[in-house]
Amino acid sequence: MGALSLDLVREHSPGPLFQRLKALGLPGNKTEQYRHFAIKPLLARDYTLKTVAVHTPKTGERLVIENGAVTELPAGCSIAYPSAFAADQGHYDALYFLSHLLAPAVIALEIAENAGFELRHIVSDARTLLPYRLSVTVAPEKHAEIFETFEGAGSAESLVLYGIDAEIGAGAALQWIRDESGTAEETALIGTHCFRVGANGRLELKTFDFGSAQALHLYKIDLEAHARCDAGHLLMASGTARRGNVVHINHNAPHATCVQEARSVLRGAATGIFDGLIRVDAKARYADARQNTKAVLLSPQAYMYAKPQLEIYTDELEASHGATIGQLDEDALFYLRSRGIAEEEARSMLVLAFADALIGSVGDSPYAERIRADFQSAYFTAPDAAKETP
Amino acid sequence: MMEIKNLHAAIGGNTILKGLSLTLEKGKVHAIMGPNGAGKSTLSKAVVGHYDVDVTEGEVIYNGQNVLELEPEERALEGIFLSFQNPVEVPGVNNAYFLRTALNAKERREGKPETNAAQFLRLMRSHVERLGMKPDMISRNLNEGFSGGEKKRNEILQMEILQPDVILLDEIDSGLDIDALKAVSEGINRMKNGERTFLVITHYSRILDYIDPDYIHVLRDGKIVKTGGPELVKRLEAEGYGAIAEDT
Repeated sequence: MGALSLDLVREHSPGPLFQRLKALGLPGNKTEQYRHFAIKPLLARDYTLKTVAVHTPKTGERLVIENGAVTELPAGCSIAYPSAFAADQGHYDALYFLSHLLAPAVIALEIAENAGFELRHIVSDARTLLPYRLSVTVAPEKHAEIFETFEGAGSAESLVLYGIDAEIGAGAALQWIRDESGTAEETALIGTHCFRVGANGRLELKTFDFGSAQALHLYKIDLEAHARCDAGHLLMASGTARRGNVVHINHNAPHATCVQEARSVLRGAATGIFDGLIRVDAKARYADARQNTKAVLLSPQAYMYAKPQLEIYTDELEASHGATIGQLDEDALFYLRSRGIAEEEARSMLVLAFADALIGSVGDSPYAERIRADFQSAYFTAPDAAKETP
Repeated sequence: MMEIKNLHAAIGGNTILKGLSLTLEKGKVHAIMGPNGAGKSTLSKAVVGHYDVDVTEGEVIYNGQNVLELEPEERALEGIFLSFQNPVEVPGVNNAYFLRTALNAKERREGKPETNAAQFLRLMRSHVERLGMKPDMISRNLNEGFSGGEKKRNEILQMEILQPDVILLDEIDSGLDIDALKAVSEGINRMKNGERTFLVITHYSRILDYIDPDYIHVLRDGKIVKTGGPELVKRLEAEGYGAIAEDT
């Protein structure tokens, strides 16, 4: 199909989504949220555009989306493919609109009762552009727990443009945990997401990203009155990976709370991205907004782009933000070594402790153990490990 | 026996130790006293290989080798232990996990079977109780949020579990109330076995009343200027460091 361009969707999609995409333009290296992501080579590749055939999934324990098509659906959940989906016109990212325009249909998941399941993405096609979107609606006062995982063997040089549009009803709660790791042999991934948290609703968004390929997630999160968002992002990137999160959280109404913490461990020549903006509207009095980002660089070539921002239009709130980037604490490292613990083991203990502050925030769920194991596996098998120096 | 020979060391380009020589006899308790800035802490850091200290000359001979050529963890596995003046807080690293890892490293070095988690927990509980520490110290993160006294007791706990051969105590008595000082001193006294060597760095004679040193060394301007028996403490208290004439 050649390089990605607006022409790809112009003829088929003359509506408002295309107008919004056109106004934003396809991202380049100077687009703020992609400045450190090297988006141009990704968009310039020659892909085969995947067109997804919709078919009836089998009922199982997980929601499985295989190369963009739902192949398994948990019991109690219903799925539809609406032809007209009201995408959020206020999203800031062009690829949000592009993925909507390219996706043949939105996978719409209705959660009407309390539910918890794994959402597994499987991508196996090489050199493919795979656009698909998932919309999730959690009914008022209901609770949903979704554990999102990825499997990408064989998908080298593909680009997945996917995303989630989630609507969390009044008084409802959504816990969204993402456990993601992509190797250099696997696909690049750009996720563009929109979460709307209704009055008294709660979103717990915990993302764990331990990859060595390219991946970027761009979120727009809207909070209504008394809504709460707890966001945690743990990133460990190695090799020449460029990975991270761009998160815009909007306090749109009074008494909303957001607590956001991003932690990154960067190895080799990896680049980590945390571009976080919390915007408190003039109407959003009595907001509580906290944002913090910490990064540990394990090699001289590793790079962290951290941009925590608060944009505040009311005086009646509590807000804080901060960023620290550095190496492992030398005093702590020495202390462990002075008790006979070998340097490499001491370094591992400190890195795992740093990561565990976020992994532990998932609570006692079985997911925490799996994430911890995935982190350790990624940490101990990373190709850069032997080259790292204190 | 540990023999420190003509040790010169600097921190941040400032020479602190200027040819310090000292022999630590096996099974004896040595105390080092000296004014602020004399180089007491620098000496202990140099022996354990702290990255702050740049040793420019001299050697520390222990077990027939110059330990200055070893990595910090190798020095620890040779049996050298420093109780830090200000133990660092290590967020996220569980106290029990840390100490079992250290003990297992020692056991591996000695060719012994590793203490498993259940065995270790029993061992740690008994030591915690004996030291008058709160039981939750076991599950808390290493020194995180500990009071000054709790940190010092935690150093003694590590010492008792790791059973080192040469023990350097850098102002173990600073910031301790009477009860804590007593508990810490008892811990030190329990470790005395006629084989173990202690080097107690202190400003005050208070702790020496509890642990009965064999030798007192006065450190001034980067060198040991006087060595004597316990009676030297009384003289130092009465006359101050300035009145102590240098041994020739």
